[in-house]
Amino acid sequence: MNAHDELLDLVAVYALGALPAQDAAHVREHMAICPECSREYARLQPAVDAVARSAEACTDPRNGAVPSELLKARIMKTVRAEAAPRPASAKSRTLWPAYAVAAAAMLIAMFATVLSMMMQSDLRQSREEVSSLTHQLAGEKKYEAAQRIMIADLMSTDAKRYPVSDGEVVRKGERLYIAMHTMPMPPKGRVYQSWTLAAGAKAMTPGPTFMPDKAGIAIVHVPQSAATLAAVAVSVEPEGGSKSPTSKPEFVVKLI
Amino acid sequence: MERVRERDAAAFEGLYDAYHRLVYGIALRVLADTAAAEDVTQAVFLKLWSSPQSYVRGNFGGWISRVTRNRALDVLRGRTAHSGAELPEAVAVDGAMEEAVLANLDAVEVRAALRRLPEDQREPIELGFFSGITHQEIAARTGTPLGTIKTRIRSGLRKLRADLRGTVAL
Ligand SMILES: [Zn+2]
Repeated sequence: MNAHDELLDLVAVYALGALPAQDAAHVREHMAICPECSREYARLQPAVDAVARSAEACTDPRNGAVPSELLKARIMKTVRAEAAPRPASAKSRTLWPAYAVAAAAMLIAMFATVLSMMMQSDLRQSREEVSSLTHQLAGEKKYEAAQRIMIADLMSTDAKRYPVSDGEVVRKGERLYIAMHTMPMPPKGRVYQSWTLAAGAKAMTPGPTFMPDKAGIAIVHVPQSAATLAAVAVSVEPEGGSKSPTSKPEFVVKLI
Repeated sequence: MERVRERDAAAFEGLYDAYHRLVYGIALRVLADTAAAEDVTQAVFLKLWSSPQSYVRGNFGGWISRVTRNRALDVLRGRTAHSGAELPEAVAVDGAMEEAVLANLDAVEVRAALRRLPEDQREPIELGFFSGITHQEIAARTGTPLGTIKTRIRSGLRKLRADLRGTVAL
């Protein structure tokens, strides 16, 4: 092997990005004056790009890790805030990321249910319609505020995020959410149930049961303060929920 | 890409949709940590948004791969003492028609082609690219003479290229 063949080998190592900075500088200097080596570099760079391509994440979350939808929401939030204003003819105002729209719609549906439940119990306790309406209005305002806080938390760039296979656990200060976005439906007659493990405790505390919507989205606000918890988990349980997990958890996220 | 330079959020979203799995996948392979890989993905795309002029020309997928790989390795190395090997981010030469063939490769195809490489060529290539160690370190780690490692990297890359183009070895 002559000296120039050795240089060609170095060009390959340079293209791969495995050459120390100093050697890389020599190779660059040489390529600037040597057509053979710069041609070799041009031929090998696409092969290196192909090596990179081999790591591409798959589209199907069942086949491996996929980037979370919340990541896109986070990035697009920054981008839209800085985007050039659209021409007046273009009607669309600031678009919400699809994920946030779906989440907001689901939250509204959820709160509507809670409200109607509240109303029913109010009616049972008091026959006075006026009183019930007052409660309803107060409730609506309160829940609207809670809903805004929840969406803001989920979109927040400084929330702590723990990715899980079909979504993520989001912690913003003391508030904790389980935010699933590609969650499959549980088997018939079963539901998902959230669990928490208090710091220092030996057993899981049962939390709310829930179901994903058609798009696989489910958001659960964990009732406890995140500061008091060691872990949060989700498992599949019979309808109505269990007192302690009866199946292997879908995920367990350690918070401390 | 032109529209991204004009601060068009919809155009940027198109780029994100097309390339985020590539960016995330490379970062995850380098860092083996989903949260860190998401951070790198965010950094790469927001960098692209804030300074789109950093991309000049050539195969966009190749360019963003190299940027991602370097960024992920910075994170791996702890961002400080940065003496490690760096991928040249600039495109080699323009006008190479055949490069278009290699530009639109499918990940499944590439993985199959990599598996067809002799193990002693694939290993140094993957080590060099994804773990960011230099050819000297690869030689030390695999107990192989440095000259042999260099030759295997070059032969492997050439073979991979020929395989993916569906041609006979060069
Ligand atoms: Zn030369």
